[in-house]
Amino acid sequence: MAMSDRDDMSGLEVFFDAARAHAAEPSVALMARIEADAQAVAAQTPAPPRPRRASLSTQLYRLLGGWPAVTGLATAAMAGVWLGISLPEGMLDGANESAYLIDVAPELAFDLAGGNF
Amino acid sequence: MPFDAMAEMSDEALLVLFANGDGAAARALNLRLTPRVMGHAYRLLGNHAEAEDVTQEAMLRLWKIAPEWRQDEAKVTTWLYRVVANLCIDLRRRARGVALESIPEPEDGRATAAEILQDAARAEALQEALDQLPDRQRQAVVLRHIEGLANPEIAEIMEITTEAVESLTARGKRALTAALSGRQEELGYGDER
Repeated sequence: MAMSDRDDMSGLEVFFDAARAHAAEPSVALMARIEADAQAVAAQTPAPPRPRRASLSTQLYRLLGGWPAVTGLATAAMAGVWLGISLPEGMLDGANESAYLIDVAPELAFDLAGGNF
Repeated sequence: MPFDAMAEMSDEALLVLFANGDGAAARALNLRLTPRVMGHAYRLLGNHAEAEDVTQEAMLRLWKIAPEWRQDEAKVTTWLYRVVANLCIDLRRRARGVALESIPEPEDGRATAAEILQDAARAEALQEALDQLPDRQRQAVVLRHIEGLANPEIAEIMEITTEAVESLTARGKRALTAALSGRQEELGYGDER
């Protein structure tokens, strides 16, 4: 306690000590009523919702990286389908149809096919 | 959570546990807070039955506010002291001049019967003097000198400045000193100066 408090206490501290020593205490019945109130309030209050586990598709969506990644994937897939169903002009024209076979490692092909005869 | 594990937890954490459906947290809070609330309500009212009613109402409000409680907002005890004071002031405004009821039995078995009686008489005399103070002075004096709170916390409870708290407690103590000065001999007060 600050000195100024002590200075002007004028002997009141003995009364305050007595008041602290003789505090009114709650009866057992009051404690029981308060406990019952707590139970009644808890019964009326809905329990906070538990966090739900995300579905498999949501987990996959998050795993891929969310909407930017999924958008990119969808665009790439659509482009692939489009390329598959539409024949690109100039790639295969009937007049200049030709094919070349370039053997970049003939000795390797020999080893693979040959063995020890 | 086991009841024993709650002894170390703060009031605020227990209140959040109660809001999440933990019944043991309510028991722990009841045992911890109700005696303090009851003691404070009695000092502000000077009436045991009314203090019990105020205590039950204050604790009921605590249970109800629990789901909205934010741990970083305020101390539970600060909130309770404020609620108790408001309930007591409302009650006193509605019914002035209620007679004092019996004070509780003393507990200290080591003191002699005369000491117990003298101590109880002092507590009763103080309560009578407190009852004569204006509501705000009584609240400030009780919080500062009986509950032992610091001025900034009292200022928060009473929603005033610390300077106003100091002013209220100073005026309250002067009035108490004047009220009790005539009873020094009767209460054995002169022996202990």
